[in-house]
Amino acid sequence: MTWADLSLIAPELALAAAACAALLQDAWATGPALESRSRGPAAAWIALGGVCAALLLLGVRPAGAAQVGFAGMYVRDGITRVVDLAALAAAGLGVMLSPPYLERFRLPAGEYHALLLLSTAGAMLMGASRNLVLLFLGLEMLSFPLYVLAALARRSRRSQEAGLKYLLLGAFATAFFVYGVALVYGASGTADLSRLGRAPDVPLLHAGVAFLVIGLGFEAALVPFHAWAPDVYEGAPMPATAFMSVIAKVGAFAGLLRLFPQALPQLAPAWGQMLAAIAVATMILGNLAALAQSNVKRLLAYSGVAHAGYILIGIASGGPAGSSAVLYYLLVYVAMNLGAFGVLLLLERRGEEADRVEDLAGLLGRAPWAAVVLAACMVSLAGLPPTAGFIAKLYLFRAALQDHRVALALVGALTSVVSVYYYLRVASVALSAGAADAVAVRHSRFAGVGLALAAAGVLWLGIVPGAITALVQQAVQALR
Amino acid sequence: MPWWLELIRAIVGTIILFTGVAVVAAMFGVLLERKISGWMQSRLGPKHVGPQGLLQTLADTLKLLQKENIVPHRADRAIFATAVIVVPLAALLDYVVIPFGTTRWGPLIFRDLNVGVVYFAATSSLVVVGILMAGWGSNNKYALLGGLRSAAQMVSYEIPMGLSLITVALMAGSLSTVTIVNAQAGLWYIVAQPVAFLVFLTAATAEVNRVPFDLVEAESELVAGYFSEYSGMRFALFQLGEYGEMFAMAGMAVTLFLGGWRGPVLPPVLWFVIKLYALIFVFMWVRWTYPRFRIDQLLNFSWKVLIPVSLLNLVATAFVVMVMHR
Amino acid sequence: MSGEAIAFYVLAAVTLGSGVVVVTSPNVVHSAVALVPTFLGVTGIYVLLSAEFVAVIQVLIYAGAITVLILFVIMLTEGGTGIRARQRNEQGAIGAAVAAAMAGLLIAVAVRTPWARLPGTLPTYTPGAIGQSFLGPNLLVFEGTSVVLLVSLVGAIVIARKEE
Repeated sequence: MTWADLSLIAPELALAAAACAALLQDAWATGPALESRSRGPAAAWIALGGVCAALLLLGVRPAGAAQVGFAGMYVRDGITRVVDLAALAAAGLGVMLSPPYLERFRLPAGEYHALLLLSTAGAMLMGASRNLVLLFLGLEMLSFPLYVLAALARRSRRSQEAGLKYLLLGAFATAFFVYGVALVYGASGTADLSRLGRAPDVPLLHAGVAFLVIGLGFEAALVPFHAWAPDVYEGAPMPATAFMSVIAKVGAFAGLLRLFPQALPQLAPAWGQMLAAIAVATMILGNLAALAQSNVKRLLAYSGVAHAGYILIGIASGGPAGSSAVLYYLLVYVAMNLGAFGVLLLLERRGEEADRVEDLAGLLGRAPWAAVVLAACMVSLAGLPPTAGFIAKLYLFRAALQDHRVALALVGALTSVVSVYYYLRVASVALSAGAADAVAVRHSRFAGVGLALAAAGVLWLGIVPGAITALVQQAVQALR
Repeated sequence: MPWWLELIRAIVGTIILFTGVAVVAAMFGVLLERKISGWMQSRLGPKHVGPQGLLQTLADTLKLLQKENIVPHRADRAIFATAVIVVPLAALLDYVVIPFGTTRWGPLIFRDLNVGVVYFAATSSLVVVGILMAGWGSNNKYALLGGLRSAAQMVSYEIPMGLSLITVALMAGSLSTVTIVNAQAGLWYIVAQPVAFLVFLTAATAEVNRVPFDLVEAESELVAGYFSEYSGMRFALFQLGEYGEMFAMAGMAVTLFLGGWRGPVLPPVLWFVIKLYALIFVFMWVRWTYPRFRIDQLLNFSWKVLIPVSLLNLVATAFVVMVMHR
Repeated sequence: MSGEAIAFYVLAAVTLGSGVVVVTSPNVVHSAVALVPTFLGVTGIYVLLSAEFVAVIQVLIYAGAITVLILFVIMLTEGGTGIRARQRNEQGAIGAAVAAAMAGLLIAVAVRTPWARLPGTLPTYTPGAIGQSFLGPNLLVFEGTSVVLLVSLVGAIVIARKEE
């Protein structure tokens, strides 16, 4: 290990240091008491400081050629940069949106922020891995904190159930991933992704890659590995749901990006077909199931499944166009999904989460800005102009058409039309007159800034996407 | 070597070890225990069977062999019966990596594994499984409590023990027991690593459930702990496992800290035996001198004293070794 | 048949046999105890592959620590002792079918793959070499694992600690 290696992982180190600081601060403030007493925003400020430091360290590093460190395991290139940006945006927004909720429901703030930061570091490691072992470690570091976050509300049986379900199924899926790593290693004699391209084309390699897809597909909630998503999203405390809905996708798709278009281009015909089939199933099932939901958390869970299907279009299409579309979509998805959850986090129904669609009724009258942000995010999730969701989908479908996958683009477009119905239903309830009884709106300056940032991201990426488009296209230049 | 020869070697070795451990460790150990306790309490101890009571344990064993094997009502028969095998077997496996001496053909050891020290830690941790099985299978609350206490205790004390093992391995630059003994040609590690030695001895006492760490079988609270319900030869097998484990721990301490078989004039094997019995005497001395810990004191002692101390010791040793090798 | 092959089949039979007990026994303690021979069978296979270090670690961690932890938790849990839990539900048939399909697929893959016999001798996996690799090329993974362990610790404490 050298200083060069250490400077490569500086953003991850900043996050880990902030996580430890948050834990220690909490322990210090709590003292010998059983329950954490530090509910003030101290932990949130520490976490925010960590995220800002990581962003700064990311920014000062010149965007040049790819740099490899840790004996070829870790690579910092354009893709790493964009994935880090998405993960840090998710962490930053997650931190800013949650303090009012944590305080109201008496969740342990120190642990919440520490776990959130470590999970972010895991997603960033996945985006930077050049070796299957590191990819596996990143997956573990991403998912372990999420299991705990899902079960964080220990007074709620639903939360405990969500945590247990997520843990058991996640462990099962991870086992497949490890088995896949072993099979790929057995077939190619290397776990190095950059050397996988020269591996002999034997059945064992195909089996191993299929198993890797199971592990990553679980994390991304692709059909048929999506069954956990609605239950876990519904049961987990809402800030955890919001954060996991985006960070898991960032990590999983970063892994898929590293694995397929980058490491295995020679097998593209084989995995292209497989991923395209999964994408079609995911888009159709996710959107149809979302139609029937009356609980916003479940609705957003199925919407997350559907969006995983859309993003997979980019992976299946491969090449620079597909990969850059995936990266762009991840950034957009972070902003719009966290924006939508952020508004829900402000609401409270009789000491519980306000997670039914009708709880949103009359939001315009009481919190006009929140209602507008929610509507903008819903429009963006549906993929309508002038929001970022539209541009992101456009890039994806264009990549599919360039790769002559007309069916994929067609299914994507048709299911997007279906999705307009349920997204706009939520938006129209929020913008309608009338008031839901017993639903209170909690104002918080911290969360307000977070919401404003998310909304700004959704609109900015939709109206002037030039800068970010250039960034993602530059990121995938190394791909052929 | 063809595989069948290897197999025969293994079987013969096992038989020799088993009888050796059974006779020397258990029988003589029990006799010694009684003699020493008698001496410390100004009694005579067993006196009538054989010269000076030397054959007392043999007579006891014969008696136990004839006794009925009682299985408690609604006990889990399969687990109840298997536990009896697991405990002595795990104790027996420890002896594979202990070098008893050296001859002109090489060291007298069953197998000089290059991971010997870790192997020792691994096999000695298997005893807990047997104890938990015995405690649960008996369908008896005292036995269950004993088994649970044992699990908590052994899991806690395995950590400081492992840390002190690693410290010694770090000094010797190897995990092989023979290499470690050879590395002590100049200086015994008890001089270089007194902290590790004390930690190992304390943890070893706890691992074999002896006073002051004998909550597992605290007579005044739990009858006899996890083997309360065992009678006849099964009881004897637990005793065998217990004393076998104690001798193995003492043997390992001799190997790691007291220079193993090394010593002037006398033959190596004799030196090993002398050191072994010196340590056994220390174990017994402690047993008949000190009162018992409480369970919370016991766990606190491990987690708040032994583990930090041995961690510090490990880091300091690692630092010194690194500086010396630069 | 060579001695190695006999040993392999015996060990595989032990592993699979006790594995079946683990998943089918209605008594949860029996399942936990049956884990020990499963792990020991795997240990034997590691020894056959001359991976002594991994074998010893397998005993230390799995047979010694994990099984004890599982048994400990079962015995501490109220009503966990002596409980006779049903090990299968309505979806047993589907699960069995999927498992059988997966096994068939893997066997077919393993049989159809041309296994390359690499020339030369095996590298020596001594503890020293493993340590060098942990602190050399695999340093990031080695240290990252400690972060995962930290997360597990925090999680266990957050979820399981006493109520106020």
